Amino acid sequence: MAPTPIISVHDVCKYYGNFTALEGISFDIKPGEIFVLLGPSGCGKSTLLRIIAGLETESKGDVVIDGTDMLGIPANKRPVNMVFQSYAVFPHMSVEANVAYGLKLERLPKAEIKAKVAEALEQVHLSQFSHRMPDQLSGGQRQRVALARALVKRPQVLLLDEPLSALDAKLRDAMRLELVKLQESVGVSFVMVTHDQSEAMAMADRIAVLKDGKLRQLDSPTALYKNPCDQFVADFIGRINMFDVSSHTRNGDAVQFDTKTLGTVTLPASLMPANTRNLAIAVRPERVRVGLEQPAAEMIAVTGTLGDVAFQGDSSLVEIILDGERSITALATEAQAETLMALEIGTQVYANWQPKDMLVLPENASE
Amino acid sequence: MEDFRKHFSVFLTFFTPTAGWLVLLFFVPLGIIWVYSFGENISLTEIKTTWTLDNYKRMFEPQIITLFWRTVWLSTLSTIITLVIAYPISMVIATASNKAKPWLMLVIILPFWTNLLIRTYAMLNILGTRGRINDVLEWLWNLGDGALDLIGLGAFDLLGEHFAPIRFLGNNSGVMIGMIYVYLPFAVLPIYSSLERLDRNLLEASLDLGAGQWRTFRSVLLPLTSAGISTAAVITFIPMLGSFLIPNLLGRGKVDMIANVIERQFKSANDWPFGSALSLFLLYITFIILAIQAFANMRANKGRNDG
Ligand SMILES: Nc1ncnc2c1ncn2[C@@H]1O[C@H](COP(=O)(O)OP(=O)(O)O)[C@@H](O)[C@H]1O
Ligand SMILES: [Mg+2]
Repeated sequence: MAPTPIISVHDVCKYYGNFTALEGISFDIKPGEIFVLLGPSGCGKSTLLRIIAGLETESKGDVVIDGTDMLGIPANKRPVNMVFQSYAVFPHMSVEANVAYGLKLERLPKAEIKAKVAEALEQVHLSQFSHRMPDQLSGGQRQRVALARALVKRPQVLLLDEPLSALDAKLRDAMRLELVKLQESVGVSFVMVTHDQSEAMAMADRIAVLKDGKLRQLDSPTALYKNPCDQFVADFIGRINMFDVSSHTRNGDAVQFDTKTLGTVTLPASLMPANTRNLAIAVRPERVRVGLEQPAAEMIAVTGTLGDVAFQGDSSLVEIILDGERSITALATEAQAETLMALEIGTQVYANWQPKDMLVLPENASE
Repeated sequence: MEDFRKHFSVFLTFFTPTAGWLVLLFFVPLGIIWVYSFGENISLTEIKTTWTLDNYKRMFEPQIITLFWRTVWLSTLSTIITLVIAYPISMVIATASNKAKPWLMLVIILPFWTNLLIRTYAMLNILGTRGRINDVLEWLWNLGDGALDLIGLGAFDLLGEHFAPIRFLGNNSGVMIGMIYVYLPFAVLPIYSSLERLDRNLLEASLDLGAGQWRTFRSVLLPLTSAGISTAAVITFIPMLGSFLIPNLLGRGKVDMIANVIERQFKSANDWPFGSALSLFLLYITFIILAIQAFANMRANKGRNDG
């Protein structure tokens, strides 16, 4: 039996006037997981998080936290706490007072508050800053205050709205790891909002991909990468080479796809999705090989000229220019990249891959 | 900017008119008043500067102390009431939609564009024993009295034999109502701007951490808008201290504040030296209040930087 969900969101909709910010969102969050809401800016991620926190009221649907329907329960009575995008650290209180704020409201004994605050500050490595005022802290430190202030309340779920977006790149990478470690040590579920797919991939147990207020796909990072349900998800999660299909015909176990760039491509029918509207066929860069000789007949191949080779350490991104506008990206290993880099830009090359490595994707799986 | 020293003539050209204006219309009269305050009346029209301190000693006469005391407590109480009224008004404006905001602001600022004298006469019309407020009260009284008659209690005259209008004019209440009405916009603007600058997420964070609305107001909203509140307090309190027209008209000459007594010294009492001393004393009080506020602000800023 699956563990009972700690949060259950059922058919939640949110309307601002006649603008639909969220529509028919349903999912369960398991105890102890890092659940990421991922999507482009303006897709409704923050709104959804704020509905769970009780800071915004859903127009329709319900939110159940730990078995209790949250309808009509205000933010200050919900067993969840939030880390705001702007951190919202109280500027007129010291670090210690910020963290103690939520505990004082629980009317705990003074000594207990002090001990809990000290422990929380220890957890986020801020012990020596406990008497500082927020404007004497760096952005990263202020974020830790916000984290400690929320975690010290021992919430069932910690809600984080773009927690890393205000940090500089280097700190951001370090904080990804640290947040994951923190989650493991405290054991509460994290629901995190981000628009950064690499952040989501690196941290999440499961990712819900949102677009224009609708849930497109909910899966583990690997499943999202390997089996994206539609063109939006495939494009949003990682790099992909996508080719629009103008028409397709089915011949028993095979389907023929007509594309502008690749011509007619025949793929096994098992790759066909349920929804077949506005199909595209696609291949990930790491599946694409680049060679100087004509590839074998069973490979899907396209001729182009060598473009930029972008060095990335253990691998390189290779651009193959097909005509004026279109190009294909391939991911080359270190050894392959070295041979390619020895060539002159503009040399004719063959980009090729196996039919089974292709994905067949509808424009929008839920339409 | 920094090279005004190099182009001294340019600097002079621009600076001289302003400075001249200031000297002619502000410092010269102030200087004259200052000299007068050390003078004595030697005849009906002549004042001799004898550098006497008598005019200042007279401040400690009981009736002058009473006068100062009345001025201070009327202004203090009115300031507090003004702040209590201004805060929720400011909150309404700050939380209104962007469409409604300019209109609400306009309603607040509109009285500024009307002459104080006219507004004060309007207050006379509203507050008089036969004024609009008492009209409404009388109407309510008649309604209540009629209702009592209807249920058979008319004979007991529970609401009094006939309607007795409330007196606002010629006593402290009328003066306070007048001052609160006139200075309310001064209080709304700084409080509104401090509310506007506040990060709404801070209030949400307080709720999220378990605080109720009242606790959030007390522990987050109020402390974070304290600068606006103290500015509002100072810019209402200082002009209230110097109120002349409002106590004169709404007080019907029965509620004297400092400015009324000062005016009398320059007119009917014909005691310019004492009037000058009183004026300067009022000015000193104002300076002290401003200094205290500046000092408090400085400390608040410093406290924030030093932890
Ligand atoms: N109070 C509001 N009134 C009207 N529209 C809103 C309000 N809050 C959010 N929206 C709109 O809802 C959409 C989703 O917003 P949000 O959840 O903040 O997006 P994001 O995914 O970037 O966090 C946006 O288009 C935004 O303009
Ligand atoms: Mg957002």
